[in-house]
Amino acid sequence: MSTEVAQRYVGASVARSEDPRILTGGGKYVDDVKLPGMLHAAFLRSPFPHAKIVSIDASAAREAEGVVLVYTGEDLEAMIRPGPYGISLMMNQDKPAFSCLATDKVRLVGDPVALVVAESRYLAEDAIELIDVDYEDLAPIATYEQALDPTNPPIFEDLGSNVLAESDLHTHGDVEGAFARADHVLSVRINQHRHQNVPMETRGFLASYDREADHLLVWSANQGVHLALHILAGRLGLSPEKIRVRTADVGGSFGLKIGATREEVAVAAASMALGRPVKYIEDRYENLMASGQAREEYLDVEAAYSDDGDILGMKVHMVVDAGAYPGMAAALPTMVEGMLPSAYRIGALEFRSTVLVTNKATYVAYRGPWAVETFVRERVVDLVARELGMEPFEIRMRNVVTRGEEPTSMITGRSLDGVTVRESLERMAETVDIPAFRRRQEAARAEGRYLGLGIASYIEAAPGPRAGQSPLGLEQMRMELDGDGKLLVYTGQMPHGQSHETTLAQIAADEFGVRFEDVRVVVGDSDLVPPGFTGGSRSATMAGGAALTTARALRAKVLELGAHLLEANVSDLRIEDGAISVAGVPSSAMGLAELVAAVQEPGRLPEEVDTELKVANSYDGGAGGWSGGTHCAIVEVDVETGLVTFERYVVTEDCGKLINPAVVDGQVRGGVAQGVGAVLLERAAYDERGNFLAATFMDYLMPTTMDVPNIEISHLETIPLDPDVNFRGIGEGGMIVAPATIVNAIEDALAPLGVRIHEQHLPPARILELAGVVEPE
Amino acid sequence: MNTIDVELTVNGERRSATVDPRKTLADVLRDDLELTGTHVGCEHGVCGACTVLIDGQAARSCLTFAVQVRGSQITTIEGLANDGELNPLQQAMVDSHGFQCGFCTPGFLMQITALLADNPTPSEPEVREALSGNVCRCTGYQSIVVGVLRAAGGSSIATSAH
Repeated sequence: MSTEVAQRYVGASVARSEDPRILTGGGKYVDDVKLPGMLHAAFLRSPFPHAKIVSIDASAAREAEGVVLVYTGEDLEAMIRPGPYGISLMMNQDKPAFSCLATDKVRLVGDPVALVVAESRYLAEDAIELIDVDYEDLAPIATYEQALDPTNPPIFEDLGSNVLAESDLHTHGDVEGAFARADHVLSVRINQHRHQNVPMETRGFLASYDREADHLLVWSANQGVHLALHILAGRLGLSPEKIRVRTADVGGSFGLKIGATREEVAVAAASMALGRPVKYIEDRYENLMASGQAREEYLDVEAAYSDDGDILGMKVHMVVDAGAYPGMAAALPTMVEGMLPSAYRIGALEFRSTVLVTNKATYVAYRGPWAVETFVRERVVDLVARELGMEPFEIRMRNVVTRGEEPTSMITGRSLDGVTVRESLERMAETVDIPAFRRRQEAARAEGRYLGLGIASYIEAAPGPRAGQSPLGLEQMRMELDGDGKLLVYTGQMPHGQSHETTLAQIAADEFGVRFEDVRVVVGDSDLVPPGFTGGSRSATMAGGAALTTARALRAKVLELGAHLLEANVSDLRIEDGAISVAGVPSSAMGLAELVAAVQEPGRLPEEVDTELKVANSYDGGAGGWSGGTHCAIVEVDVETGLVTFERYVVTEDCGKLINPAVVDGQVRGGVAQGVGAVLLERAAYDERGNFLAATFMDYLMPTTMDVPNIEISHLETIPLDPDVNFRGIGEGGMIVAPATIVNAIEDALAPLGVRIHEQHLPPARILELAGVVEPE
Repeated sequence: MNTIDVELTVNGERRSATVDPRKTLADVLRDDLELTGTHVGCEHGVCGACTVLIDGQAARSCLTFAVQVRGSQITTIEGLANDGELNPLQQAMVDSHGFQCGFCTPGFLMQITALLADNPTPSEPEVREALSGNVCRCTGYQSIVVGVLRAAGGSSIATSAH
């Protein structure tokens, strides 16, 4: 049946359904929601990284103008049940124990200590100033070394130390054999620095408890309403049916806005105590300091390689700085270990990991959370090339797998079915003339100019191949035809920039046979949409596939009904442009609104016919598949100013069949922009005493129009693995591979100065140190 | 706290509010005048999400007290479309897939409106320079720059793929 469907919308850069509202000020974000009698919350936060709370005096704040309520951590203890917050819901960690707001001690700069609810946010912030907290300093744990030092006090007493998790040594393949065969071993420590999501809309939350109905309505900027609902129910001791979570437009997230956080649960508890709506909108200072940060880890790597440039094996110890409260960090090492070989024929890997607790913000998910596997591997490939005096591109071509040849899976186990990294490298070599660049680079060097070319490749399980895997999960979807003959699509996806209202409608319209304009995608209401969330670059395959199969199921139902109404065989019927007709008999056409009305007419159809124009369906991911590709940056490094400028940035990527090319390109470019920020600008900096140094946009530098280059993109839409669904996710790829690409280019530029780079953050000051222009600090 | 009466012309309409002297123009627009199209992204004047036109000039409404602009003409994002029809800039942004999450969008559109009033046919470097004080976290800017050039009736940038 699918072959009959005319693909009118899928594959075209259809204009976004979201645009008319966001371009006119008609978008509705959580801070735009106003409820009658609404109050406003603000939090007092710790100025110290690690301190005992000796006493809190909130009496003056309680008396202050407009203040309705002040809660300390102690006040909330009786109202809130222990358990996970935020993304740690997915991590299954039973330790450490901690409270909603700080009680005994504070564990990072920004730890919430007290909540003030007042008639306005201005008055709530005034009252915050009146709370007097007596702190007793504890030794801050702000570096890997401090966290590993057993003489330092544990941040969480029940952990007994500042080691959150430590893995055994895992061995894949013949590691000792690989190292014995190797001509050389490269030993490096490669660092990634702490940086963070920084959506332009901060976190926001509005709780409204109705005492009479014993019902909690929540508006939350979130990636999935049911995860938030689940945490709220657990922490507040409410049954899930008593909670409705709604999400308005969401101003970006990139992994940050998952579940319900400590602050959000505290605000919900306040609303329940007061029986009034309470809104909390995080300010930017709080967002940078305390919403969550990511990426701080290093890998000690030994890489065994041959004279010919074959990378034979690696031994890795990964150390993660998890920050204070539980987030995503404990889950990372397993992801990094599994993905480290990627599309390369690396035949042996030894891996162990240590996850440390520090007095910093919680380690949260940030676009491609495991991306250090790509950064480290692609750095190692270039370092090996440099040691051997080989072209990095050639080393990649030598080591990446070829489809149809062994190995067909990574040494860590995952199938490489459908991986096209080799093809993306070949496309890159057609797009960028590397030998011509080398000639130009040499001429420039003779003039004292430093040009560099960097290449890096990646794959992402978006959602991953089914072959040899555990199930990919189920994506649920509901569809119905309304009385106007419009198609309603209910999805658990919660778009926050990804354009799902457009892309899912494209798929549904094509498959069902209605106009794009006649499809409405419904998101963000736990009373209406099935469970789900947007993340992990899964929505293209999972929700795209759910849209296709659910539309197909509803279409079959409508055809069945149409067969009765038009007295024809199902196989002779067509649904096109919102009308059902007998093929070749245009005069038989019945509009879908007319069909809905006819179906509901008593006696029109035999009683045994199912007349419900609704379908609930779930999709299992089909054959799944990888996304992936290769990026190339050409840069010039000014060794007098330390500034890096881009001459060219080229992407060759494969996310399977494109649903909406403009949406795909937007995802790729946005990811690359975050990679540019990560390397050249952004750092969530702490000093060695745990003081946070980047709490404003004057200190935490975001990439602007002057920093992000134009990006050339070419798509390889290769290797269909599934008969129907070959859309694959592209949300994270740009951010996964751009940092390695840019650092590889910078090292290439500075190579004549003997520079080797083992870190990711390269602001001008660091470039000048590396170039030997200034002395390292 | 003493309050002050503020009269403004917003999107061509006379509006008034009685506000605390410390209340920002952004908050007065959003809370008192219910024009929530103007967004607050950083509250310290860096990100540009709150940009509005004050007497034709782009300005940060998070750094402006409402009492400072009594009697001024304010234009916000809600003032761009004509009777529900997208204006040429808005339409160009639809055609270019200019934005994604939409949160920075109002500030960008107001900044671009001010740019095009000054310079109806800017070059790409002029567009980038003029927008360098507005932060977008989603797009990498290229689609926005393309949208501005399209609105200005000029040619697109060389590497635009679609």
